[in-house]
Amino acid sequence: MIPQLVTVRYRRPGGRWLRLYIPVVPVVVVLSPLLLLVVLAGLVMCRVYRVSPAGALCGTGQLLWALPGTGVEIDDGHTALLISVR
Amino acid sequence: MNEQHRQILEMLAEGKITADEAERLIDALEREQPELSPGAAPRPNRRPKYLRVVMVDSSAADDGPSRMNIRIPLQLLRAGVRLTSLIPPQALTRLNAELDKAGVPIDLTELRPQHIEELIEQLDGVNVDIDEPNTKMQVFCE
Repeated sequence: MIPQLVTVRYRRPGGRWLRLYIPVVPVVVVLSPLLLLVVLAGLVMCRVYRVSPAGALCGTGQLLWALPGTGVEIDDGHTALLISVR
Repeated sequence: MNEQHRQILEMLAEGKITADEAERLIDALEREQPELSPGAAPRPNRRPKYLRVVMVDSSAADDGPSRMNIRIPLQLLRAGVRLTSLIPPQALTRLNAELDKAGVPIDLTELRPQHIEELIEQLDGVNVDIDEPNTKMQVFCE
């Protein structure tokens, strides 16, 4: 399943938390024109470096599909960063 | 329904025990069942799904300990290593040359995706535990 929600929490040195809840699907829909350009650029790069475009697309898709469940928590004294992909 | 459950229900029907006692007996049976049933097939081993890296560094005493907790799905590692098969051959040749120069004579062109797959499969049993006076680090699969 593709990621649904990315949660980013950042604790600033003052102790205040900045929370960002990023719903992936709506963001992808909004950025779809840009993503189209990125895909085109990727295909050109594949041609240049003689990499199979189908393989690259498939690999990127698998990478995206495997992302849910990823979590990174870094707490360093006054600052902290928490990222979770669901 | 097994024999013990049937006996409890019969005792209840005959009025030898109350409904509360029957319920308690059935609960007790269900708690014991997983350990006692000799003919039951062994439960399949739960395969780990995540690689977890946990580090606590308490050397900087003024700010409190630094903590790092990273959870990576093993599926993500698999997908990542599959992507390595897309590295162009000329890049692999250059990588090999650089590795050789650095004293690491590994031929990356000989590395097949299935070898890396096997490596990931064996990660299941990895358990690294480093315990130093100020730093603790654990790498394990869960």
